[in-house]
Formats: sequence, structure tokens, C-alpha cells
Amino acid sequence: MKNIQVDAIVVGGGIAGMQTALDIANQGYQVALVEREASIGGKMIALSKVFPTLDCCSCITTPKMSAVAHHPNIQFFTFCEVQAVSESGDAYRAEVLQKPRYIDVDACTGCRQCEYACPIYLENPFDLNLSATKAVRVPFSTAVPQIAVLDIEHCILCGKCEKVCPVEAIDFTQQPETFHIDTQAIILATGFEITPRNAKKEYNAAHIPNVIDGLVMERLLAPTGPYGRVLRPGDGKEPESIAYVQCAGSRDDTLGVEYCSRVCCMYAIKQAMLLSGALPLADITIYYMDIRTFGKGYEQFYQNAKAMGVQFVRGKVASISQDEHQNPLLRLELTDEGSQIVERNHDLVVLSVGMLPAVSPEAIYNIPVGEDGFIYIPNPNLAPTITNRPGIFATGTAVSPMDIVDSVVLAGAAAAEAAAYIAEHHNGAPALMPEREAIYA
Amino acid sequence: MPENNELRIGVYTCYCGGNISDVVDCERVAKTLIEFPNVVVSRTDMSMCSDAGQSMIEADIREKGINRVVIGACAPSLHEQTFRGTVTRAGLNPYLYHHVGLREQDSWVHHCDCEGATCKAMRLMLAGVAKARHLDPLEPIRLAAEKHALVIGGGVAGLRSALDIARRGLNVTLIEKSPFLGGRMAQLETLFPTGEDARTGLHGLIQKVIQHPKITLFTQAQLVKMAGYVGDYQVTIEQQSRGVHVEIAEAALTANLPEVPDEFNYGLTRRKIIYRAYPGCYPSTPAVDWKNYNGEPLVINGQPTVLYNEPKTFDLTVGAIVVATGFKPYEPRQGEYGYGEIPEVVTLPQLIRHLALLGDGKPLTWNDHPVRDVALIHCVGSREIEGVHPPHEDGEVNNYCSRVCCTATLHMANELHERFPHLNLYDLYEDIRTYGHGHEQYYRDALENTTRFLRFHGDDRPEVVAAEPGDTHPVLVRINDHLTWGEAMEVPVDLVVLAVGFMPRDVSDLIKLLKISAGTDRFLLERHPKLQPVETAVPGVVLAGTAQGPMTVQESCAAASAAAAKVSSLLGQGQVELEPFVAKVDLEKCDGTGTCMEVCQYEDAIHLETVLIAGQEVRRAVVTPANCSGCGGCVSACPNRAIDVQGWTLTQYEAMIDAFALEPAELVEVMA
Repeated sequence: MKNIQVDAIVVGGGIAGMQTALDIANQGYQVALVEREASIGGKMIALSKVFPTLDCCSCITTPKMSAVAHHPNIQFFTFCEVQAVSESGDAYRAEVLQKPRYIDVDACTGCRQCEYACPIYLENPFDLNLSATKAVRVPFSTAVPQIAVLDIEHCILCGKCEKVCPVEAIDFTQQPETFHIDTQAIILATGFEITPRNAKKEYNAAHIPNVIDGLVMERLLAPTGPYGRVLRPGDGKEPESIAYVQCAGSRDDTLGVEYCSRVCCMYAIKQAMLLSGALPLADITIYYMDIRTFGKGYEQFYQNAKAMGVQFVRGKVASISQDEHQNPLLRLELTDEGSQIVERNHDLVVLSVGMLPAVSPEAIYNIPVGEDGFIYIPNPNLAPTITNRPGIFATGTAVSPMDIVDSVVLAGAAAAEAAAYIAEHHNGAPALMPEREAIYA
Repeated sequence: MPENNELRIGVYTCYCGGNISDVVDCERVAKTLIEFPNVVVSRTDMSMCSDAGQSMIEADIREKGINRVVIGACAPSLHEQTFRGTVTRAGLNPYLYHHVGLREQDSWVHHCDCEGATCKAMRLMLAGVAKARHLDPLEPIRLAAEKHALVIGGGVAGLRSALDIARRGLNVTLIEKSPFLGGRMAQLETLFPTGEDARTGLHGLIQKVIQHPKITLFTQAQLVKMAGYVGDYQVTIEQQSRGVHVEIAEAALTANLPEVPDEFNYGLTRRKIIYRAYPGCYPSTPAVDWKNYNGEPLVINGQPTVLYNEPKTFDLTVGAIVVATGFKPYEPRQGEYGYGEIPEVVTLPQLIRHLALLGDGKPLTWNDHPVRDVALIHCVGSREIEGVHPPHEDGEVNNYCSRVCCTATLHMANELHERFPHLNLYDLYEDIRTYGHGHEQYYRDALENTTRFLRFHGDDRPEVVAAEPGDTHPVLVRINDHLTWGEAMEVPVDLVVLAVGFMPRDVSDLIKLLKISAGTDRFLLERHPKLQPVETAVPGVVLAGTAQGPMTVQESCAAASAAAAKVSSLLGQGQVELEPFVAKVDLEKCDGTGTCMEVCQYEDAIHLETVLIAGQEVRRAVVTPANCSGCGGCVSACPNRAIDVQGWTLTQYEAMIDAFALEPAELVEVMA
């Protein structure tokens, strides 16, 4: 069995995990980054443009992916999952499962001949099922590594891919493999999931095709998106009136989510701005309880959106139904306008869904989660990345909902803590000295 | 493979995920450029900076023998480094690549004129190709880095940063301007979202910093001079005298001394001019408040004693500098919500101190009057709108959200309710921004505690006026409450609490010394909010905590640790690299006029040396690359055209300008 020795394992290859890995590796330590998907990049790589700078998302993410891939101190393992962690002395041993790609990763060049030859069309998870992909494919155009992955569940074993592959990389006999990584420190950057589309029954998203969630809108707005333009999924019509329903998954007891998801106000405003560019004639309305544009430059961003004509209407949407033209119908109380109860028609409704914890670390890492399911941090103010198990750290949205800016900063913090922990472990803790005299003259 | 010296240029036009291609016809640009001599490949990609895009360039260099690379993409500040890595990996000198900013210089500014933007893209790229013909291989300047960091500021961010850098084995010097450590956090009582005691946590951190063998601390110390460059900054620190000997410290504190308002309690109390910030503060030896000491003898221990401030200066060499200078709470204007005019109007930080001074079990009073009704007003000094709210002294309005005050205010409302259950609390807000982990609970608790919420609009803020004599309450708060249809309400209260926001400290001296910059919000500016969120534009100078913008304690610590990670990365290897874009003198052309020295703005960047040329002693200009900024001042001043900035030579500029200046007809011809 393969056995790898590193100083730190980073679990999760999204923006927080990549930044943590880079910040530890840049300090001279050896890092293993373990990602369960077939490519690193996380949720961020699928976004369109990011607030508040409106940088194109790939322009920020893809170079980080590339930097991880080429860093001399980083080994990265995709399509892998940590299955168990054991302690050996003051170090950890992680048991990692390499799921079979059914592709010889050393041979595959990412030429995509297999993908072109494959006759099986599947919903494309990268485009949140709005477009089609094949049973064997490179996960997406900017994937790292550029190596195909074969979906054995949907494959009909027709062998067309095998025939066209110029390097004989298709291997239907591949088996799952397990290997070990020995490490001093583990950093969990396991990210988040979004509120399930059907979570809020009153919003009927399961039955109204023109009610979508914020991530779907990200794909519609992305230059690499499924349609290359913004169309509503129900009938392909270009929407003339788009509504955002804020807190659709946050601050809502009926969903068991009391907390604020922190990113939804800004992503809704950002999408509204991008939509005003993509569909200059469309009316955009954001229905909200509180606008929480708290970050650096965010309030100014909000004021700009207002000035651009985006409508902000205070009121929590109670329910959504549909008229005969497939237009969603929102029912809400206009608290700013005499608290009248109204029904408003829009062509397309975007649910500003919130963030939920992605995976529970309890079983594998033996660290607890808080009441809300995010990783428990015993001393969040002064040590925001230290879990209650020595040598195990947490960062990014595994800790709590946060945006990319805050994730990148917290990733740096986790890297500092982990690196200091490794240094103190390698060399022994620095000796404590009596109070120094040099404090004042 | 190409013959020796044959120029083989690869041209790459990036879509920038639509940022460029939505406006510029990138395919047309690519097709046009391939027509030019020596251009061997001309390609496009959705994002050239992606691994796939970079691999394509690498493959061209390896397989097609490309030896000059021109990439038209976003701004070089974003990805010039990325692509230098790309060409290096393929075995090419990183400086044989030129970056054209097609996004900032073209598509973003000409988004209404696709045809014009496409033509401009061609011109820009053509100029890039023209420059590429004259590119020479360069080597970065490699210098030894001092494994020592300077941290400016002894608040929680500075302390956290210093400790994390020291734990990585680097030396740290921490300087604090005031006589005591702890900063604003020491003035807090309990922290959200944990409810923990603020000073217990802070003192734990201070203990670790004091005991760490790699950290040296100086209080009453300031940076007064800085020279040098990343890895080798020469800094001068000035430290005031403490003024009080340990032996007479206790006596000095009890002596009959002049008193001034105590800033620790935001002016609610007075303190002596020899003082401790608070009981249990670090360091514990009292200090003299030199600003308020007039030099007259003071009677201490029955002895008339004159105290002398003898500031000392000392020099240090440090590799990097962490700026953790913190913030100050917004001080409302005279009369703003009645502040400074109505005695019952206080700020939230003042109320925190007032409650701490009050002690447990006592009823809440203000100016000896019992308090039953309290109004808390959000967004004071934050979220101001230009044209609606009057500008501050510097002509600006605070158009940012201060991020911390909503939860801090609700934390206060809940604490008031818990300690004084009979209080009637009114919370006047615009939006409740309890965004953070565990923050929403404070809002929910406040709602359950029957705190009454009233909502105002940003351009229609509440008014605070003094009540008529004989009224039941001293103050009236007027608001158009949008939770009840905009109804005009009058709330009589005993106390008004202003939830004041964060203000940047005046660090203009540091900004000048360090050559860093502040943003439009006047807080210190990071290089890029996502790519380099704690770095400044100056290599080796990083930001930690609220000097950069409003943050909670938690966020300050995260930023401080992130800053520490950057410093460790930078200095850990003991070596830093600088760009080779510095002046270079052609000794053949130089005749030692010294004009270059006269115009040079930088210390020790260029000087005259006696050299031996053809057996003759002559004076010639010599550049010290580490001190040269590559500004080009000497280049334009030199009468003999003997100086060039490497990577940006006059020949390269002329080639670019020639390309730009092609007659429209010629351009149309070549672009047809």
C-alpha cells in the first residue's frame, strides 16, 4: 500500500482549502491536498463574477488551482476521500480512498476524444443539470487535473471511448484503492452545501420551473454557462422581470436554520448588477428583510445597485405559486408600504438560498459540531481555526457561512496556526522565559 | 526547432471569462496578429490563466520553439506573476514575456464600442509584439532577507500576529504607541458570540507574547524612519521614557497630581497624569502622560520631583512589517443626535465603560438619575450618504458599514435587559446586520426580551431633542417608523445610546513612511480583496486587523494570523526576490555628468564611482539595484541616453510607440 509522509493534510480543494495549502506550502512545509471531486476548485470555480470587485471568477480561481497543481511542496489527490484517521504518537495517519476514475491517470492527456465518442448523454452536474455531458468526460474546461473521469453507473460499456483513446487510458477494471498519509496536522476545509431547492415547501420550487436558486443563476450568468445567455429554464424565454427572494433558507425557523448565511445579500445584489448588464431592459426586484452588506466596500456596492435602478422591497415572501404563463406569483407583506398583503408577478424568481454544513467531521475526525452543524470552534475569537483536537484545524465555510474574501483570510489564519503547530512539534515547544525587561525603558 | 536567434513569438488573447470577449472580438484579434512577422502562433482561450490555458502556452514553448510570449488579458497586477511561472516552467526566461492589459485598458473602458475596442485591442497587442522583439532575458535581484519582523500596534491584532510569526521561529519586534498593551479590546467587557470576558482572553494572549523568547516589545514606541526594501528594511524606532521608577510607582499613583479625562473610560472619569490604563494592565508600571505634563515639579512621596522624558531612538533591520494600528470609535459631531449638548446622549463604547464602572447589583443611573427608558440608535457615523449627510472634517462621508455595531448594540441591549429587567429598550435601526456565526441569536434574544424595534430609512434618520422642562423624561427621540407605515413616533427616554461606527486612525505619517495607501473609505488598502487580502502594494508590508477596515475581534485575529502566514512565507527562506526592472547604465555612453544623481528621488539608488576605462580614471554612474525603484527619472534626464530601465528600455518604448502610431490606413491594411 502506498504510504505518503507530509507535514499537513488539507481536506477539501475549494478556495479555502487551496489557499490554506498554498500558505502552508509557501512556508516550506509538505502538504497533501485531498479532494473528493474529480477536480479541485470547489464551489467557487462554477461562479460567474465575484463581489465586490466583479472580477471574473475563473480569473481568481483558476490560477490558484494551477498554483496548487504546480507547487513543489504540494501533492494533490482528486477523487479521493479520507475514510479514517488514527493517531500514532503525536502524529496522524489518514486512510484515504482513491475512487476509481476508470482512467489511467498517468496516461490520460485530457484530449477529450473519449468524451466526444461517448454516446451517453447525462445531466451535467457542473452546470447544475442545465446542460448535458457525457458518461466519460473531463469534468469541466478548466478542471485540474485535466484528466477524464468515467461514470461507471451510466456507462453501457460500449467500448467506443476505449477505441478512440490515443493513449489507451481507459481501464474498466480499475478498483478502489486505499493509501495512507502520515501527517502532523490536518486542516478541514470541507466547505458547504446550499439549501436544497425544495426545502421551503411554501416556495414550490419543485413544481415551478421558473423558480431557481442563486447557484443556478451563477451558471446562467457565467460566460461558460449552459446557454451563453440568461434564459428562464421553464420555456427558454428571456425574462423581463426578475425577483430575488432573500433569506430563502436562512433566518428561518421552519427550516431549522436560525443563522444568517452571510453571502446571500451580496450575491443577489451582484447578480442583479450583472443582470442589468445582460438584460438591460429587465426589471429587477430584491425582496428582503434586512440588507446585510457589511463587508469592505459592500455597502457602497449596495448603494450603486440602488442607483442603477435595482428595486429593493422590504418584505419576507410568504409563498410562491404560478400563473397560466408559467410566471411565478409571489405573495408577501410590503412592510414599508403600509403592510399591505400583495401578489406580485415576475418572469423568473431566484431563491437566495443559504449555506448548510457539507460534511460532519464527527465520525472520521472525532471532532464535534455546533448546534448548527458547522465545526465547533471552542475559542472562536482568539483562535478562530483551532478545533478541540490538537493538530486538527478548520477553515472556510466548514466553520460557518462566509464569503470568499473571509474564506481566503481564514485560510491564511489556518495556515499560520497549522504551520506554527508543525514547527513547535518538529522542534519542541519554545522554552518559556520569565517576563522580559525590554518592554519599557 | 528554430535556428539560433530566430524570433518566434507566441501571441495569446484571453477571453477573460467574457470580461474581454464580451466587447472585443478576440478571434479577430488573434487572426490579425498571426499575420505579423515572427508571430508563430496566435491563440485565444476562455481563461488563459487556467491550468489548461497555461499548459497550452507551455506546450507551444516546448514544441513550437516559441521564445517570446505576448499575452493580452487582465491587468498585469493580477496575473503577470502567474504567466511568468508558466513560461519559466516551459524553460523560458520569465522576462521574455510581455503582458498587455486588454481588460482594464480596453474592454472595461470601451464596453459600448465593440468595433473600436477590437481595433484598440489589435493596436495594443501589436505594440506588445513590437516590444517583445526587443525583450532580453533578465534575472530577478536576489537578496538575503532578515528573519525579523516589525509589528506596529499592540492591540489584539498586533499581538496575535507577533505571536504567530514568532511561533514560526522568526524574530519579532512589537512596538506600541501608548504606554500599555491591549488596544481597544482592553476596553471591552464581554465578547460576542461567546459571552467570554474580554480581558481574560486578551491577557492570556499578552502573557504568551511577553513570554515568547523571539518577541521583543516596546511600549511608547513609534516608527519614525524607514529605508530599504523588502527583506532588508532599516527602521528607526523612537521610544519615550516611562518616567516613573518601579520603586516610586505606587507612591506616584496615590500622589496629589493634576488630572485629565481618562481615555480608557472615554472621558467618563478622570485620571492622574501618572497612570495605569486600568488595574491589571500590561505592563503594570505606571507611565507619565507627557502630553499633559507641564514640566513643573510634582510632589511624590513628599518630595518635589521633576520628571524628564528622554526619548531614545534605535535602529533595527527587519525583513517585513505588519501594520496593526487599529481604529478609533467614531466621535459624533457636536449636536449630532444631541451628542455633546444633551448630557443623556452617550456612545455605545461609553455605556460599556459606564456599566463596568457601575459594578454589579447597582441600579442603572445616569448623572445620578434613575434610568428606565433607553433608546439605542444604530449606524451613527456609518452608512452615510453623500449629499444627504454632512461631510466630516476631511470632506468625506462614512459611506461604509461598520460591521460590528449591530451585534454589539444587541449584545448591549440583552445585557441591559439581563442586569436591569425593568428597563424599556428601544432599538432604532436601518437594517439589522447580525451576519456572523452566532450573531443572529443576539437579535432573536433581543426580540424575545421585548426590546422594541423601530426602523428608519437611511435618508431619514431619527432626531434626538431635549425635552421641555417638567417633562417626565429628559430626552425625546423622533423617528418615522417604517415598521408601522412610516408613522412619526416620539419616544421619551432617559438615555440615548449611539452605536458609533469605526473610524480609521490618523496614520498619515505611517502611510508616508511605508509608502502604502488608504482606500476611498480612508482605511488602509489591501492589494486585492481575494488574491492578496492582507498584503499592501509595498512588498513585505502587510496589514492586520482594523487598520484595514471594521472587524470583530474574531476577524481581527483571523486577519492577523493570515498576515503572519504571509510574513513567514516571505522571510522563512531567508531570501527575497525583487523585480529586475531597475536602471542600468551603459558605461560606454556615460560620461559622468551626474545629472542622474540630481534627479533621483531615492536614497543611494545611483551614485558616481571612479572606474578605470582604457587605462584612464573616469567618473561613471553606478546603480544600486536594491534601492532603485525603476521610476525612470534618470533615464529621461541623462543627456547621453546612457541609462535604461531594464525590461522597459527606450528601444522597447519606441518600438511600441511606432506600432501604436501606424497610420490608420496602414493599420486597416494590416488588419484587413
